[in-house]
Amino acid sequence: MSVAPVPSALPESSSDGFARLSRTRFLLSNEFGLILLIAAFALLFAVYTSGFLSVFNLFSLGRNAAVNIMIGLAMMTVIVTGGLNLAVGAIGVCAAMGCGWLLQILGLPWPVAILGGLALGAGLGAVNGWMVVRTGLHSFIITLATMSIFFGVMIFLTRAEAFRDFPEAMTAFGKMRLLTYLSPLLLLTFAVALALAWLYRFTVTGREMLAAGANPAAAELSGIRVGRAIILCHMLSGLLAGIAAMMLVTRNGAAIPSMAGQLGQDWLLPAFLGPVLGGTLLQGGKVSVLGTVLGAFLVTMLSSGLLMLQVGAFWVQTFLGLMLLVAVLLDKARRSWLARRNLA
Amino acid sequence: MTTIFRTMGLAALMGGAAATAALAADDSKLALVPGGPHPYFAAWEPAGADAAQEFGLAGSDYKVPQRWELAQQNQLLESLLSQGYNGFMIFPGDPVGAVATAEELAEFGAPVIAGGGCYKDPSPAAFCLGTDTGNSAYLGTKELLAAMGDGEKRIAHFTGFLVDPNTQLRIDAVNRAAEEAGATVVQVIADIDAPEPAEEKINAYLAAHAGDVDGIVTTAWVPAVVAANALRRMGDTGIHMVGIDHDEVVLAAIKEGIIDGTMIQNPYGQGYIGSFALARMRSGCTVKEDAPFGSNALTDKFIDSGTAYVDASNVDGYLDTMREETARILADFEATYLSCP
Repeated sequence: MSVAPVPSALPESSSDGFARLSRTRFLLSNEFGLILLIAAFALLFAVYTSGFLSVFNLFSLGRNAAVNIMIGLAMMTVIVTGGLNLAVGAIGVCAAMGCGWLLQILGLPWPVAILGGLALGAGLGAVNGWMVVRTGLHSFIITLATMSIFFGVMIFLTRAEAFRDFPEAMTAFGKMRLLTYLSPLLLLTFAVALALAWLYRFTVTGREMLAAGANPAAAELSGIRVGRAIILCHMLSGLLAGIAAMMLVTRNGAAIPSMAGQLGQDWLLPAFLGPVLGGTLLQGGKVSVLGTVLGAFLVTMLSSGLLMLQVGAFWVQTFLGLMLLVAVLLDKARRSWLARRNLA
Repeated sequence: MTTIFRTMGLAALMGGAAATAALAADDSKLALVPGGPHPYFAAWEPAGADAAQEFGLAGSDYKVPQRWELAQQNQLLESLLSQGYNGFMIFPGDPVGAVATAEELAEFGAPVIAGGGCYKDPSPAAFCLGTDTGNSAYLGTKELLAAMGDGEKRIAHFTGFLVDPNTQLRIDAVNRAAEEAGATVVQVIADIDAPEPAEEKINAYLAAHAGDVDGIVTTAWVPAVVAANALRRMGDTGIHMVGIDHDEVVLAAIKEGIIDGTMIQNPYGQGYIGSFALARMRSGCTVKEDAPFGSNALTDKFIDSGTAYVDASNVDGYLDTMREETARILADFEATYLSCP
């Protein structure tokens, strides 16, 4: 499901050669590596822990993975442009609090409140994108600033008070178990991931986003409105952050200012781990939706499994940091290997 | 510090355990889970271990989330339930947002109580065993005002994270105490219950405004330590201060006369009494409907684990103060709050 804007030159034209090349590429891909890692660690945890395959653990694993994957996708949509969205957590919290305000203070029906919260998330993302385009500054600087601004305004307006009066229909969704172990939140996340894959592979807008990230100058000369594409990417990121926040609202039964930590910073690690492990290029222009999904799932599963192994809570963080470093180094080695064989 | 708490706890047992020794060995495997890493909760670990030994429990383990993050705490609690833990004392990562996870734990038959901080009602927590934070801040400010004597009283208040609803309670309590005494709260600095922001903001403020302040009250652990160190470095400023908790820096500053005193809390008592209560509830006890609970802004099922003012006159015996408080609560805990078969 990796998508790049420019088709690679194919050294062979026969169908056998093409199939062999495709297979080789898949076996060397991040996605295949992640699938192997997930299978290996699942086996390890199943053998060496008690309760890893219990119904409740599988349910909670899927539910936590759903949110982490969505957060990863929110960051991925901006990394596509070669940018970053450090305000992803702050936007998510603002969307959740906006939804709570519409529901609890204005008394709007919950579907309208959710749409309002998502619109707020998309709007704040658009503000980020607009400022990046207008100022010409890197999105790292802009979103670092807006992270504090968005979160600070939210705390000022809400006085750090949570919204709790959510209807049963919403909170029940977060607790719902399909077939006793499957969270519907995970299905929602998969649906969003499929929609994103379709966007990047089959739509003009998606291809323009990738082209704008790969080479903005060339894209501009090709008639692509790069500024518009960047704003759309940030808007999409805000929308996905809002969806992740709504998922947490249904899971917690409340919209809470601290749901993503101080300034929303607690979302940053999962936001980066998913796309980076999944093979999305930090320079932009290449995206892997499947890789992001698998990367975020692997991280969530590792956290769960390491907790079950009782390795010590603080080692979990250390291990996740090491994972990120090793993944980046392995990816560098893989790309070098492919380049030497003229496969990249 | 762990040894101190263990000594203190075992001593408390001598007074309190006689009334509770009826607990037989059972399969209670309890988890004491704070909101994240913080020195305040360190006393829960020896408290749980002592309780497990004294009451014959399968375990009462201190389990710390990796970070102060609700999602991390939720994940840890879900994992502990999967591992077979069957009773939980929890400092809610958020008084509202943590309720959903507590409900899931309770649905699996595990009793839940809140320790150190409360869930917002309604929640499945049987009760909340913690410090009355607003009252503690109010009393601490009163002590500060008394120590400042006559004349102009301008107070700076250094406190915890704004996302913690206790912070607003503390701010309101300090303001109320100041207003009653005709004092002025000239500055509130919040969001600093971590070393880096506390060092940066407190030192910057005192460097610029030490002459505009007559007293300092701190209502969070890290700001108390940083402010005490700052006053030590600044020398004789004439600024009075009342801190919070029992960090060794704060206690040493009291002994040396750098600050006036501190409001201590009782985390060991929370861990020990909490483990006892969870084990009793697992053995069939229920919470009395007419139990004499207190109330605060979050819950109507509040039990004060004790707070006391410590100054130079009693700083060496502060452990005795909390030991007596723990023994006092434990001695009639079952009769007061529980209905047992």
